[in-house]
Amino acid sequence: MLAKRSSLDGGYWVFLLPGAIALLLVIIIPFVVNVAISFTEWNGITSPTWVGIANYERAAHDKTFWLSFENNLYIIVAMTVIPTLVGLFLAAFLYDYVANKIGKSAASVFRAGYYLPQILPVAIAGVVWRWILQPRWGVLNWLLGLVGLEPQNWLGDADIAMYSVMAIMVWFQIGYPLVIFMAALQRVDPELYEAASVDGANWLQKFVSITIHQIRPEIFVVVLMTLIHSLKIFAQIFVLTRGGPGRATIVPSYFAYQNFFERANIGYGATISTVMTVIIVVLTILFIRVQSRQELREAL
Amino acid sequence: MAQPFASDNLKKALALLFLTALLVVMLFPFGIVTINAIKTPQEYASDGPLSLPGGIYTQGLRDFWERVDFTNKLVNSTVISVTVAVAGIGLALLNAFALGIGRVRGRVWFLIFFLMANTLPQEALAYPLYYFAKYLGLYNTRLSVIIVFSVIQSAFGTYLLTSVFSTFPREILEAARIDGASKFQLLTRIVAPISRPTLSVLFVFFFIWTWNEFFLPMILLVSTSNQTVPLAIAVLQGQHNMDATTSSASALLGILPCIVFFLLFQRTLTRGITAGSVK
Amino acid sequence: MRKKLLSTTLVLLAVLIAVAPNLSPRAAAQEGEVFKIWHYESPNGAMGIAWQAAMDKFQEMHPDVTIEFESRGFEEIRQTAPMILNSDEVPDVMEYNKGNATAGFLSANGLLTDITDVAIERGWDQILSPGLQTTSRYEDGIMGSGAWYGVTNYGEYVMVYYNVDMFEEYGVEVPATLEEFENAMQTFVDAGITPLSVGATEYPGQHIFYQLVLNQADREWVDAFQLYQGDVDFHDEAFTFAAEKIVEWVERGFIDEDATGIPAEDMGVAFTNGEFPIMASGSWWYGRFMNEITGFEWGTFLWPGNELHAGSGGNLWVVPANARNKDLAYDFIDITMSPEVQTLMGNEGGIPVNADLEQIEDVKIQELIANFNAIIEADGFAFYPDWPAPGYYDILVSGVQELIAGTMSPDEALDFVADPYFEYRESVAE
Repeated sequence: MLAKRSSLDGGYWVFLLPGAIALLLVIIIPFVVNVAISFTEWNGITSPTWVGIANYERAAHDKTFWLSFENNLYIIVAMTVIPTLVGLFLAAFLYDYVANKIGKSAASVFRAGYYLPQILPVAIAGVVWRWILQPRWGVLNWLLGLVGLEPQNWLGDADIAMYSVMAIMVWFQIGYPLVIFMAALQRVDPELYEAASVDGANWLQKFVSITIHQIRPEIFVVVLMTLIHSLKIFAQIFVLTRGGPGRATIVPSYFAYQNFFERANIGYGATISTVMTVIIVVLTILFIRVQSRQELREAL
Repeated sequence: MAQPFASDNLKKALALLFLTALLVVMLFPFGIVTINAIKTPQEYASDGPLSLPGGIYTQGLRDFWERVDFTNKLVNSTVISVTVAVAGIGLALLNAFALGIGRVRGRVWFLIFFLMANTLPQEALAYPLYYFAKYLGLYNTRLSVIIVFSVIQSAFGTYLLTSVFSTFPREILEAARIDGASKFQLLTRIVAPISRPTLSVLFVFFFIWTWNEFFLPMILLVSTSNQTVPLAIAVLQGQHNMDATTSSASALLGILPCIVFFLLFQRTLTRGITAGSVK
Repeated sequence: MRKKLLSTTLVLLAVLIAVAPNLSPRAAAQEGEVFKIWHYESPNGAMGIAWQAAMDKFQEMHPDVTIEFESRGFEEIRQTAPMILNSDEVPDVMEYNKGNATAGFLSANGLLTDITDVAIERGWDQILSPGLQTTSRYEDGIMGSGAWYGVTNYGEYVMVYYNVDMFEEYGVEVPATLEEFENAMQTFVDAGITPLSVGATEYPGQHIFYQLVLNQADREWVDAFQLYQGDVDFHDEAFTFAAEKIVEWVERGFIDEDATGIPAEDMGVAFTNGEFPIMASGSWWYGRFMNEITGFEWGTFLWPGNELHAGSGGNLWVVPANARNKDLAYDFIDITMSPEVQTLMGNEGGIPVNADLEQIEDVKIQELIANFNAIIEADGFAFYPDWPAPGYYDILVSGVQELIAGTMSPDEALDFVADPYFEYRESVAE
C-alpha cells in the first residue's frame, strides 16, 4: 500500500469484527452449504445423495439454463445501463436546474415521485402492470389505438415479452440511482464549479470533469449494485410472466427457484445458484479492483 | 449574463412539462392501484380494473384487516424494518470505518467479502438458513429475520460508505488525531455526523427494502402472528383467483409507512452540507 | 437533539419488542388446550363459510379447547409446506393440495399422519366413492391406493360454461359431441366473435389441452399417466390429437392468439361481461358467477364427447405427523364431513360429498351437483394434468403457450412436456 503512513493507521481491524462474524454465520456458511448441496441430489427432507459433478454436467447441456443467462443480458441493460445513465442526468438536472431555478421543494417532490415505484410491493406492481399491458382492454393498447397504432400482446408474445419486462424494470429502477446521486451531489464543493466557470467551461464540461468525477464513488456503487440486482432478479419475473411465454423471459434465479421449490430438485437448484453466485462474485471482484486502482491513482 | 426574461421562463416551463409528464408515467400504476382500492368487487368484475369507481368502498378492506389482523402485521413489519435499518447502518459504519478510513490491509478483499452478502441469491440461502434457524431455535421468530436482513442490508451500506469514506478529507482526521481523539471518537464525533446525508439515504433504503421483503420472511416466519405485511397481502392470492380490489387496498395501506418514512427523511436528505463545514 | 432522542427511543422500543417474545419461556402447550387449524379458502367462499360453521360446532363439542385458526395463503403453503411440516411449528389439521407432487411427496417422506384406521372407524371410506378416495390415498408417494393420508370433503371438476343468451341469438344448440362443439364455435367465428375465453398465462390453457386428450383416452390411460400404473407415450393418439387440436383451434379462430397474455382472472371477468360466449374451466367459478353474472343467462355442460373429465375430490384435510392434538383433528374433520356442514357448503355454491340433496335450494347448484354425481357414477375423474410431477404446472402452461403461439410444433411441445414427467417418475421408481 502506497498511502502515507500517518497516525491514522493501525488497529482498525477490530472494527471489522462484528460485521465479519455476522457475515460468516449468516451468509458465508450457508453459501458453503449451498455449494455442498450442489454436488448432491436432494428433495429437501430426507438425506441428500452424493452425485459429484452430475448436476453441473446437466446444466452444461440444459438449454433452459443457457437461455436464462442470455435473457439476463437484456435485464442488465434495463436495470443497470439505462437507469444509471438516466439517473445521472436526471439527478443533476433536478439538483442543479430545478432546485435553483424553480425551487428546492419542486426538486424534492419530483425526486419523491420518481422513487415511489421502488416502494410499491413487487406483487402489486406486477398485477397493475399486467392490467396496463392487457392485450384486450389494457391502457397501453387503448392509447395506441387512439393514435392509430397496432395493439400488441405485450406479455404474451414471445418476441416482445422481454422488451415489455425491460421497460417495466426501467420504470422500477430509475428512482434508486436518482436518490443516491442527488445525495451525492451535496458533497460537491460549489467553489469547484465557480472556478471552472471562471476558466470558461460550459455546462457539459463542468458536468463531466467535476460532477461525474466528484461523485464517482457513488457511480461505482450504483453500477455494481444494479448489476448484482439484475443478475439476481426474481420477483418481477415471478409476478409478470413466470418466465413465459414459453421460456421467453426465464432468468437464472427463477429457474433455480423452480428447481428448489416446485420440482423439489434441491441439488440442481443449488447448482444453478452456485454458478450465478460465482459469476456475480467474479464481476464484483473485477469491479472493486478497478475502483480501488482508480482511487489509488487519484490519491497520488 | 443577461438573458431575455421570456426565454428563461419558457425553459422553465418546458422543464416542468417534461418532468411532470415523466412523473405521471412513474405514478400512473399507483393511480390504478388507488382506484381499485376503493371499488366494490362487482364494479371490478363488470367494468374491469381500469374503470373509475362509483364511490368509496371499504368493506373489503375492513374484512381483510380483521381476517389477517393487519394491525399485528404492521407492528411486525415496523419492528423488523426499523431494527434492521439501525443494525444495518451500525454494522456498515463499523466496517466502512475500518476499510475506508482506517485503510486496513487487504481492504479490497474485505470489501468483496462483505459484498458477498448481497451477491447470494435468496433462494440459495433458503434451505441452509431454514435448517440453521431450526437448529438454533430461531425458526418462526422475528429475530431470525432481523439477523439475516441486518447482515444482508449492511453489505450494501458497507460498500457505499467505504466508497464515500475513501474520499474523506484526511486533514480533518489527522487534525483530530493530533488533538488526541481516540479512533472511536473519530467515528462518532467526526465521521458519522459528516456522513449524515448518506446515512439517511441508507436508513430509508434499508427500511423500505426490508419492509417489502417477501421470500425469506415467508420461509422463516411460520405463524401468522409473526408475519409481515407483504405476507399478509399474499393471502389474497387464492388458488384459482385473486381478490383484486382488496389486494389493491391492502397494498396501499401496506406502503403508507414507507411513504411516510421517505417523506420524513426527505428533509434530512435535502439539508445540504456546505463546503464551509468541511473546512 | 429531540429528533435523536425520539429516534433512539423508537429504535430501543423496536429492539425490545423484537427480542421480548423470544426471551419469555414458551407457554407450555398443554395437551388438548389449543387446537390449531389452517386453511387457505376465502372466508366468503362456500368452503370458508362451511368450515367456519364446522369450527363453531367443534367449539360446542369441546368448550374447553381454544381454537387457533390461521387464514393462510395458497402460494405460501404450496411453497413452504415441506419446510413447515418438517418442524414443530405445525398445526393440528390443515388444508393441503392433493396429488403425487404435493400430498404424495409429503406422505412418502413421513410428514403426514397415516389416518387409515381413523377413516375406517369414522366411516369416511363409506362416504367417499372409490373415485373420490383416490386423492386421499397414497402408497410410496403415488396416489390411488394404499394408506389414507388425507381426506377430501368437497369436489371439483372442469366443465364448459356458456352464455345462454348468445347461444340463442346465434341459433347454437348445446353440443353433445366434439364435432358439434366445433361447429358451434365455427358459427360464432363466422359471426365475428371469438368463441372461447382462455387464460393461457395460467392454468386454463392446460386444462383445455387435457380435456382434449381425455376425449381420446380411457380409464387405463388415466391410471397409467396419473397413477403410474402403466406405460406412457407422449406421442400416442390421445396426446397428439390434443396438441394438433389446439393448433387447429387457434388457426380456425376458436382460441385467440392473445390468450397467452391473459391470466385466469381476466378470462373469468371477460366471460362475466359477455365478451365471449364460452369458457371452459372449473367449478370454482360457479359460486362467483352466481353472484356476479347479471347481464345474461348462463348455463353449463360437460365437455362434449368425453367420458372422462378433469376433476377430483377437492383439497385434503391432512394431519401433520408432528401434530400435537390428533384426536381433536379427527373430530374436526368428522364435523366437516357431516351432512349438516356439507349441506351448508352446497347451498353456498360448493360441491359437497355428503350433503342432504333435498335441502339444496338453488336450482343452479342442484345442476352443479348433479353433473358432479354423474361423473362419479361413470367413474369419470381424470384428476388434473399437472399432478403427476412436482413443478409440472409451469411446464404444461409453458408448453401450451408455445402451441398457441406457434413457437413449437405439436411434436416439439409434446417432447417438451414429456421430459420432466419421466424425470420425476423415474426418480420415484427408485
